[in-house]
Amino acid sequence: MDDDFQQLEVELKRLRPAAPTPALLARLERALAAPPRRAAAGWWFWAAAALPVAAALAVMIAFAARGARGAAPRSVGQPAVGATPLAQAAFQPVAAENLLYAAHDEGLVTLADGTAARCERFDYVDTITWKNPRTNASVRWSVPREEVRVVPVNFQ
Amino acid sequence: MSPDVRQTRRVMTLFRQTLPNSDRMEDADNDDSWKTWFQLHGPKLLLCARQWTRSLADAEDVVQEAFVRFWRHQRGLPGNPMALLVTSVRRAALDLGRRESRRAVREGRADGGREDREPVFTTPLEGAERREVVEAALCRLPDEQREVLVLKIWGELTFEEIAAQLDLPPNTAASRYRYALVALRRELTAADCHG
Repeated sequence: MDDDFQQLEVELKRLRPAAPTPALLARLERALAAPPRRAAAGWWFWAAAALPVAAALAVMIAFAARGARGAAPRSVGQPAVGATPLAQAAFQPVAAENLLYAAHDEGLVTLADGTAARCERFDYVDTITWKNPRTNASVRWSVPREEVRVVPVNFQ
Repeated sequence: MSPDVRQTRRVMTLFRQTLPNSDRMEDADNDDSWKTWFQLHGPKLLLCARQWTRSLADAEDVVQEAFVRFWRHQRGLPGNPMALLVTSVRRAALDLGRRESRRAVREGRADGGREDREPVFTTPLEGAERREVVEAALCRLPDEQREVLVLKIWGELTFEEIAAQLDLPPNTAASRYRYALVALRRELTAADCHG
């Protein structure tokens, strides 16, 4: 590169980029003082954890109801009244769907062991539908769920 | 290696040496080190961001997003922190640009939403008039040449780092830099002649 270019480079390097506005510094200060977004994920976690528990409960109710129906013919002499509410409450899960409504790539993060990884965050709404075949009543339950995937990366 | 890059590395090394592992990511609230770092590199980052955004306000938004993410999660990563930050800034700017383009199309803005640019540099260069001439010449460069020039001169990235940022071969980045210098020199010579 000739001398003209070198002179031009020197001239350009002497130009100082304009400083950010004080408003940006104030915004950064607020943003860095606020707790990281991870801390706010508490209730998401519990909501997500409640889903399998609810599913397990539903299965238990379904089994209990089926057991009650199966036991009913043998319990001759007993009033059928006791079995009826259980049988009527026999909701069975008939559909489960996940709707992904937001995905964020949070970039590179450092794991506890010092390795680099890419962090991706996905927001879903899980919807489970239960149906009572006898009464045709149905129950739909939707719960938000946040999924964080940490994928190790290699720098080559 | 430029004095700025050396100072950045000193600050980063100081962090790695003085903070225990568990504190590295969470201690930003309690010290002013990010301010020192940002004072040094914030203007350069903002200049880079302005190559990919429509206004100073948009550029500040993407710098904020990228810097907060970097300071919280990425400052312990190996490599040149400036290159990492520029990557982050560019991605945030491209995301914002896509959103804004859709909005501009919806609102029927013929200019794509681009706003008038505020002054990019502050240091007078042989007086304010010369600075304005250089700044105007820079603005007239094709976008792909100007971004390479800005990343090289003020971002202090190598051609390899610029190539990785822009997904180009390093030779193309170097060619664009040279074309930008040729075009700038032509513009400035013409401006000098017309006085």
